[in-house]
Amino acid sequence: MTSALEGVSVLDLTHCIAGPYCTRLLSGLGADVLKIERPGGERGRRMAPFFQDEPGADSSLPFAYLNVGKRSLTLNLKTQAGSEILRSLLRDTDILVENFAPRVMPSLGMSYDILREIAPHLVMVSISNFGQTGPYRDYKATDIVEYALGGLMYIFGAYDREPLKHAFNQAQFKAGTDAASAALMALYHQRMTGGREGGCGQHVDVSIQEAVASGLRDVVNNYTYTGAIRRRQPNHSGDLQRIRATSDGYLLPNPGLGSGLNWSTYAEFLGLPELDDDRFSTPSARLVNAEELGRILDEYFIQQNKYDVFYESHKKRFIFGLVQSPEEAMNDPQFAHRQFFEEVEHPEMGKVTFPGAPFTLESTPWQSGNSAPTAGQHNSQVLSDRLGLTAEDQAELRSTGVI
Amino acid sequence: MERQEGDRSIPGPLHGVRIVEMGQLIAIPFAMKLLADMGAQVIRLESTRRLESYRSDSVYLNEVEGEFWNRGANFYEQNRNKLGITLDLGSAAGLEILRRLISVSDIFAENFTPRVIKNFGLEYSDLRQIKPDIIMVSSTGYGFDGPWANFGATGPATEGASGLAYTTGYAGGPPVMAEIPYVDYTAGEHTVVAVMAALMHRLRTGQGQFIDVSQTQAAAATIPEAMLDFSANGRSPTRIGNADPVMAPHGCYPCRGEDRWIVIAVGTDAEWAALCQVLGEGELLEDARFSTALGRHLNHEELDRKLREATASWNADKLMDALQAVGVPAGAVLDSKDLLFNDHLRDRGFYEVTQHHESTGIPPLPYASRPWKMSGTPAVPPKPAPLMGEHNDVVLRDLLGLTHEEVAELEEDGVIGYAPDDPRPVRRPSLDEQVRQGRMLRYESDFQEQVSRGFPPPSLEG
Repeated sequence: MTSALEGVSVLDLTHCIAGPYCTRLLSGLGADVLKIERPGGERGRRMAPFFQDEPGADSSLPFAYLNVGKRSLTLNLKTQAGSEILRSLLRDTDILVENFAPRVMPSLGMSYDILREIAPHLVMVSISNFGQTGPYRDYKATDIVEYALGGLMYIFGAYDREPLKHAFNQAQFKAGTDAASAALMALYHQRMTGGREGGCGQHVDVSIQEAVASGLRDVVNNYTYTGAIRRRQPNHSGDLQRIRATSDGYLLPNPGLGSGLNWSTYAEFLGLPELDDDRFSTPSARLVNAEELGRILDEYFIQQNKYDVFYESHKKRFIFGLVQSPEEAMNDPQFAHRQFFEEVEHPEMGKVTFPGAPFTLESTPWQSGNSAPTAGQHNSQVLSDRLGLTAEDQAELRSTGVI
Repeated sequence: MERQEGDRSIPGPLHGVRIVEMGQLIAIPFAMKLLADMGAQVIRLESTRRLESYRSDSVYLNEVEGEFWNRGANFYEQNRNKLGITLDLGSAAGLEILRRLISVSDIFAENFTPRVIKNFGLEYSDLRQIKPDIIMVSSTGYGFDGPWANFGATGPATEGASGLAYTTGYAGGPPVMAEIPYVDYTAGEHTVVAVMAALMHRLRTGQGQFIDVSQTQAAAATIPEAMLDFSANGRSPTRIGNADPVMAPHGCYPCRGEDRWIVIAVGTDAEWAALCQVLGEGELLEDARFSTALGRHLNHEELDRKLREATASWNADKLMDALQAVGVPAGAVLDSKDLLFNDHLRDRGFYEVTQHHESTGIPPLPYASRPWKMSGTPAVPPKPAPLMGEHNDVVLRDLLGLTHEEVAELEEDGVIGYAPDDPRPVRRPSLDEQVRQGRMLRYESDFQEQVSRGFPPPSLEG
């Protein structure tokens, strides 16, 4: 079987998370991704957590995940020779992805306006904290700053505490995903207009802040539709959307009463006849008697096993959810059936289990064969195959610190 | 030279791609909206029998009289730039029309459970009989096959199943989920990638295929830090609030005013020194416990306590600007109004004004656009989400070639329609009540004026 993006060539100048996730999606779909790193390797090689907690050049676990299926060429873009090598690679490149601060590419003499002169067919994707324009263009950010300025944080967390964010680096993963979408839309246009020979390239500007701000519900439109400013929600103990502690974790016993199931059925399912009562049977009654309802539900669920209740609920077509730890997720029968987690053989780590394909394209399988490259692993292969440089040329580049 | 979005009268990059959408709520509608923005023609099916909750909830001014189903905030949010038709798929005639639509389309997108899709005879194997190169995309909570395939799911359920919720929460507390169907968006974003890849493949080979998006998998793919720490090191994550495994200080600190906050993330000694200088905290800077990154991390609770005192007298925006001016990553925590009127987003034209149909009584309003700008093929100018059944005629007659009489007959038989059979709106408590319950911080009765002043309709922009 072929892959979806067979024949698509990507130059990957990215580092850390947002950019590498974008190009990981493209490599998973079968594009040929050449990672350009500064000599010594990009910063993401030092991202925690590490394999067996030992920081090392090739032991970053997120790096290993984000760079599967890519090749690595080290290149000092601040040198004339390095910059020329990059330019000569552009002729047979479809997509260039970078996530430097917006001032960096122009300072390297590689603004889009210059690159398009060399390669008019080139799709250049720039991912940055706040986009390539605007008053925050040069502001610095980490994931928590994007949550704050993207509008997701203010409404997230407990009513009477400080706003909260998701763990880890969700904003950057969102932007990486969006960048892959936009890159493929621009590539589609390039292919429709002639491809690498004469097709139209363009510059795509992806903002991590806007990736967060475009994925909100009932935030801005609460204001534009009613004038209200929503805050973090009070945690009514009777709220049916609330998670409940069970003997073995947490359950989300949301009955989904919107779709035709009624309250009596819910009370009967839980085996709690005392709930089938006017004090609880309507949303407004549940609000008035929230505390008592909450107490009954809490006392009930703490004695239950979350998986048992989850499975039983779906037999009745309730839409209960559950909270799984990474360990439980890795062992659940659904992920197992889907073969979502996969083992990747890594030269330093041996066999490691990775999350696999986020989606399945039935006729064009996800690519997860080759582990992340070491820095410069493919220097000579790329320089001789794509640019025809001799062993002497390469030795020269090495001795001058270009590669 | 077009560094900004250029001429928006040229068709988007997906001009010529036709999509039939049988979607609900967010996961598929959000993804198809992004494709519609970029020029795809999206024909969205809905039912007059079963009213989508985004049509019956969060309506303009909370006015649930009249045709409230054409005034739902989230319906407009998720369905701009689409054509809308009604179709009763419970009838043979309705299903036949859907098949004819699929026969002239490139993509069929849906987010129902596999049970529903199988009952309608709308699996990929069925569709390729009708259109051999069709691309079908199905988005489900847990995936199209497997023991959980037919389990209905909400955004919070998939946030829980994926492992994301488990890792999130205040230190020592239970898991916390985003107060939005967060993973529906994660899944939608991945769906666009998958659809575009399938379109690229079809362009090269002429072949369609089936795309199976598991919303839980999409989310699980975005937390490798937790997944790999377990699989490689056997460690289960602990919830640490806004703290960071490496950086300190890293958190959310109070500012002046009601429920005002700033986030600060310090990764280097230089940033630490600059932070102390801006806050006028010479003593903190001298404190040996905080002089190294490791020291700051080990003592971060004490550090956070001191910072909370230091930030409390500041205006959040001013402190952000002061910190950013000296290279410290910081951000004011924007509420919905701050976000809408944010200078930076305004400068980038992030919110786009959409005109609504006159019959709805909704004035032109700004909506969030999308996270990318394309220099050569910008998004199409925004058109509002369809009124119920708005494009029945256009789609059935112009696209499928039905006669006026045939369309009238479909309406007579209840296969198509223009209003829900059972129009039951969701009645929200009054805003005063919502403020009293704490669900809303406040409301402003002059918001319409503020919105129209800040976001004038396109014709008045000059």
